[in-house]
Amino acid sequence: MTTFGWSFVEAAARLLARDEREAVLGDLIEAGESTWQGVLSVLGLVFRREAVLWKSWRPWLAGFGVALPSSFLLMGASLSVSWSYLTLRCPELLQKSSLTLGSGTIVLLCKALLLIGWSWTGGFVVGSVSRRTLWASIVLCYSPCLFCLSRFRVESLSRFCLFLFLLPAIWGVHQGLRISRMKLSWAVPLAITITLFMLPDWSSGAQHWWSLPRRTLDWALCWPAWYLVATAKRAGGLGSSDGLWSGGHREQQTRMS
Amino acid sequence: MLGEFEYLMITAAAALGDDAYGAAIREEIESTTGRKCSIGALYTTIDRLETKGLLKTWMGEATRQRGGRAKRMVRVTPKGVQAAKDFYDAVTRVSRGASWVANRTRSAS
Repeated sequence: MTTFGWSFVEAAARLLARDEREAVLGDLIEAGESTWQGVLSVLGLVFRREAVLWKSWRPWLAGFGVALPSSFLLMGASLSVSWSYLTLRCPELLQKSSLTLGSGTIVLLCKALLLIGWSWTGGFVVGSVSRRTLWASIVLCYSPCLFCLSRFRVESLSRFCLFLFLLPAIWGVHQGLRISRMKLSWAVPLAITITLFMLPDWSSGAQHWWSLPRRTLDWALCWPAWYLVATAKRAGGLGSSDGLWSGGHREQQTRMS
Repeated sequence: MLGEFEYLMITAAAALGDDAYGAAIREEIESTTGRKCSIGALYTTIDRLETKGLLKTWMGEATRQRGGRAKRMVRVTPKGVQAAKDFYDAVTRVSRGASWVANRTRSAS
């Protein structure tokens, strides 16, 4: 195998874990495989490794249960926050909306906190449920984003208003990757707070029947928070003394393996 | 019960003893069965058997022959030996009445 050809094999092997890469590259050298055979062997192993991961329900839940549907709904919520902010900034719009500056500020604050809560919990579930297929969840989240970005036609708002949810979602993913499960004493207040924050929005729009489907769908954004409650560590369980969060690196290592 | 390839893997590893590692097992399987053994099938099966507790693996030393890369050494556990023995017994039992076994016995006698 030439040095040039070998660099292709090494590049493909970067998709493998460090120890496995070492063993596989050594085996290929020892067997004297050609560049083409080497690349195919490595990619074959990578494909099999990925296929094994997708036998579990976890990547399906993270990708198709959270990332894909939530990105659509969170873009709508991001727009709603941006629109509320615009309403506050523009006296004419404020007057039309029959809101005062005070009540408008409270509505904006509620919506913004709700958006952060939904995005963070969704990101956390995606990060903690399926770490090794995170790339697929990211693709499933960005596909609707690109679709909506290409069709965004609101002149008074910037296109980037669609993506207000991304920052808290990325923060949630980061936390989910570090920590596998929240403590129950944190998960329950978080889920209850998110649910309570949804009630004003639900009741305020009760007279607008046309917004009923959107408001009903918004409840779907609540489930990651309650999933965190359902999977949270109970007090006195393994790793319960790990601070705010439970089951840190030890559990992570178990799942990674 | 083991699968056919799992049995081949355990048997090859057991035959190689202390020299059992990825490339050696692969060569052993290919030379004895005459079938191609891909690296993907080899390592995913090793992982599966290790998860079941039938094999134990660890990273061995690096050699010049391997471009300074370490080997993934393999050892069959007692549970693995038992599983291979059970598989072999089952195959032997089920094969007793098979025509090719009877023919072989007849031709041998």
